[in-house]
This record gives sequence, C-alpha cells and structure tokens, in this order.
Amino acid sequence: MKHPTLVLIIEDDNAISRLLALSLQQNKFKTLVAKDRHTALRELQTRSPDLILLDLGLPDGDGKELIKTIRTMLSVPIIVVSARNDEKEIIASLDAGADDYVTKPFSTDELLARVRSTQRRFLGLQKSGNIITCSDIVIDVEQFSVIKGNQPLKLTPTEFNLLKYFMLHSNEVLPHMKILKEVWGVGYQHEMQYLRTYVNALRKKIESDTTSPEYIQTELGIGYRFVCTSPA
Amino acid sequence: MNYLYPYRHYFVSLILFVLITLISQIFKENLQMINIVLIHLIPVIVIALWGNILATTLITTLSIALLALYIPPTLSFLVHELMYLWSFVIFYIVGYIITLQAKRIHHNSIKEILYSTLSHDLKTPLSSIMGNATLLVDSQTVDPAIRYKTISLIIESSRQMNRLISNLLDSARLQNSQSPLKKGWCDMEELISLARREFRRDTLHDRLECRFDSDLPLFYADCALLLRLFVNLLDNALKYSDEDKPIRLDIRATPAEFRITISNECAPIKKTDLDNLFEKFYRAGNTADISGSGLGLTICRDISRAHHGNIRAYNIANGVSFEVTLPVLKRPASLKEVL
Repeated sequence: MKHPTLVLIIEDDNAISRLLALSLQQNKFKTLVAKDRHTALRELQTRSPDLILLDLGLPDGDGKELIKTIRTMLSVPIIVVSARNDEKEIIASLDAGADDYVTKPFSTDELLARVRSTQRRFLGLQKSGNIITCSDIVIDVEQFSVIKGNQPLKLTPTEFNLLKYFMLHSNEVLPHMKILKEVWGVGYQHEMQYLRTYVNALRKKIESDTTSPEYIQTELGIGYRFVCTSPA
Repeated sequence: MNYLYPYRHYFVSLILFVLITLISQIFKENLQMINIVLIHLIPVIVIALWGNILATTLITTLSIALLALYIPPTLSFLVHELMYLWSFVIFYIVGYIITLQAKRIHHNSIKEILYSTLSHDLKTPLSSIMGNATLLVDSQTVDPAIRYKTISLIIESSRQMNRLISNLLDSARLQNSQSPLKKGWCDMEELISLARREFRRDTLHDRLECRFDSDLPLFYADCALLLRLFVNLLDNALKYSDEDKPIRLDIRATPAEFRITISNECAPIKKTDLDNLFEKFYRAGNTADISGSGLGLTICRDISRAHHGNIRAYNIANGVSFEVTLPVLKRPASLKEVL
C-alpha cells in the first residue's frame, strides 16, 4: 500500500506553518515542521520527506543556499513560499533548483494545486510519445499539427514550438529566460519582445477569451505557466 | 477656478508683488533702500514656504528684477554697487533655506497623514476579518448560508488589505527615486487578465466590457506598475458604481500614444471634486460610506506621470470616465520568424 505523502514544512512563523500543516493534513498529507535551517537538514536526513515547502525568509541563512544544499543531498520536489514583490528571489530560487513557488498571501486551494502538480511531475508522469493532450488541445509533434476541440489550428513554426514547449511542461512555472532559451535558442534569453509577442499571438489562437486566459497564465515578473486541468 | 488650485502659491506671490510695488511706489520718498529690499523679501519667503525649489527660484528672480525699479540706475537692470549683488545672493540663500525646511516639514506631515489613513484603512478590513472569524469560532451556527457569507467577507477583506499593501509598496517605490522603473515589454491584454484575477470572479467578471484592437502593439513600460494602474482604476470603478452596471475598458493605440479609458455608470461628479480627485488623500464629498484610502487614484497619477503620461477624469452621459494617456517612447521592432 502507498504510504501517505510526507511534506516537510520549513517555516519560522508559527501561524503560517500551522496553516500549511492543517490544510495539507485535511487533504491526506502527513506533515513535519522545521523552524530553521539546522532542524530542516536534520529532518531531511532522518525522515526523508516526499516534498518540501520552504519559506525563503528564514532567520538563519539564505533560502537559496538551502535549496542548493538539499539538491546535493536528495532529489525531492521543493516548493518555495515567498513574500510578494521579490521576483528576483523567486527566479533565483527556481534557478537554484526549486520546482515551483507560491507567494504570500496565498489561498490554500492554490497551494494544494501546486503541491499536487509538482508531485505528479515528480512521480515520473512525463509526457512521452508524439501526441500530447491538454484539455481540448491535442498536439502532434511528429505531424506538426494542433487540434482544438475538433478544429485544426494554423500555427506558425514559432507558435508551434512555443505551444509544444508549454504542453511538454504543463502546470510548471517557466521563467521567461528559460522559455526563450529552450524555444528560440541560446542568445535569445533577453528578447522579451519575442516572447510577449508570440504568447499574445498564441493566446489569440487557443484561448476563447484572451483577457481571461485558461491555458497560458502569466506569472508577472517571472514567466508563464501552461495550465492543464485534465492530466495530460 | 479649481484647475488653478495647484498654482495658488504663485498667485499669492504675484498679488504680494503688486501690493509691494504699490506701497513702494507710493512711499518711495519716505522709504530707505534697505526697507524696499526687505519688503521684496516677503514674497520670496511666502513662496519658499510652499517647498518647491523651482517656484522659489522663479519668484526670487522676479523679486530681484522688480528691485531694478529702485536700484540706481533705475530700470536699467544694471547694478553698479557690489552691495546689491550681495543682497541678491542673500535673497536666493534665504529662499532655498526656507524651501528645504518647508519641504522637510511638508514631508513629515504627509507621513503623519499617511500613518493615520493607513492605520484606519488597514484596521477596517482587519476588524472585519477578526470579527467574522470570532463569529465563526464562538457561535455554534451551522447554517451554511451564514457560514458562507461570513467566510466570503473574510476573504474579501483580506483581498482589500492585500490591494492596499501592494499600493503602499508601489507608492514607496515611486517616491523613492533610487529605484527607477523596471521597464520591459508589456502586453496590455495580459495586464487586463492579471488585473481581473485580483478581484473576485463574481464582482467584476460579468460586468467588465473590454474594447481594444486585436493587434494592440506591445508597450514599453514598468509592467507591474501598469498592472497596479489597471487594478486601482477597476477597483475605483467597482466601488463607485451600482452592482449590476457595466464597467467599460477601452484601449486605443496610435503610433504616438496609448489611451486607456475606464468608465462606470454613476451620478456625475462635481467639478471641484473632478479637479482634485488625484490629490493625495482627497476623497469626494459623497464617499463617507465607501471604504478607500484616497491613495489609489494618486498612485494612478504617479504611475502615469512616471511614464510621462497623464490621467484625467470627466463626466460622461451617465457616468464618469478615467482616461490615461501614455506616450509611446519606444516602439517594438518588427519581428521576423526566427526559427
């Protein structure tokens, strides 16, 4: 029988750690709280959790350093909890090896959605094969074709590659520079104009209302997230 | 008259000049040169109390120019005695010292107003949160409708607090010239979708009618601040209109500028209120029962100005419109397919 997922919460604020623990426990997760870096590292070695929620503003030391340390020890998904207005910190944490983030204040629904999708990704539910499906969008990598509903979509090569990249990494937070590098190539990391223009064009083709997109969500100052509600 | 209000200090100084010149001319025979010079220092002090360096410089220069009426050779703007040059220098020094002091005092008083407004506006949603949460803990009520209403109020109040805090952070960023704008390419449609997400679905979603060209170009600006601009204007439109009336958002782009207009249906706003809406902590007379800090529109103005643009409010047939004009300072290069 599968044991319940153990989540290690690294957070120094009692109220927040209680809230996190409570909402996870309500949803059949087991939780463990560490208030500082030192306890966190000890718990990591003795209890080997399945997922980590890490507050970036720990009193003893830099959160990013802790992510790097954890990465050298274990391959376990890390979700960063951060205060508003520090996109740089979030991007740096993602670069350091964090898998996703939530910003304070967050709703518990939002947190659980992140936890579940990160966990799913980590359990090796990688998309394979030539056909990727997300809600009513089906993309055939081999045939270069996209179908939404029953209608084939006409995409330019760049739009197609962008959509393909998004769908291969659905529900993942994708920093701007990473998308530019993966879709356009090395040397294009700073060409934000390309990304904005093509995301706008792609939205016009796949979203029913571009002012309230279902698929391509903007993470302001950070990147994009391609949301797939039905598992691909 | 109200559009002259921001320049009131200039008018006071100019009226003073007229009075001073009258007095000096009438009593020319009885007054010593030193008296005349000292009288001319009065408008300098008056304007300096406003705390605006540019205004002080202007009025001081004018004051010195007027002294040419008395300093021999009169009306020639030539000064033969070094003594007068010293007087002029002292005029500027006095002006600037008072300006700087006034600025500091002014700054502190703004801080005080800010603290008091803040404590009030943060405490209002906070008391709603505390009250409703206590209600849930204490009462044994299990009526799901009441529970739902109570919890919805808690969530709505938290969102309100969150918006206020975001405003404060952005406001602090705008005040602080050390942190310049973080400019990048912004997609207006994207910003509208993000602004929408800051509101509860049932409050805004069905009421918002957007109109813009489908091929709106990208705009080079601080995207986070533009988002704040949209959120504040939408928040404002929601607060001051009836629950079921539409809110219209128009964006027009020309090669030279972007024009964003947000309109809502409500009773017309008085002329005096229209002109002062964007002043810090100004709130129109009919708003006593609507929560707000009087900070939102000021930040909208600051954000528009930081982008060299403008904001204005005007009455329309059955409501009010807020119009933001932002000049296009950098055009997106035409893109070629790079793959």
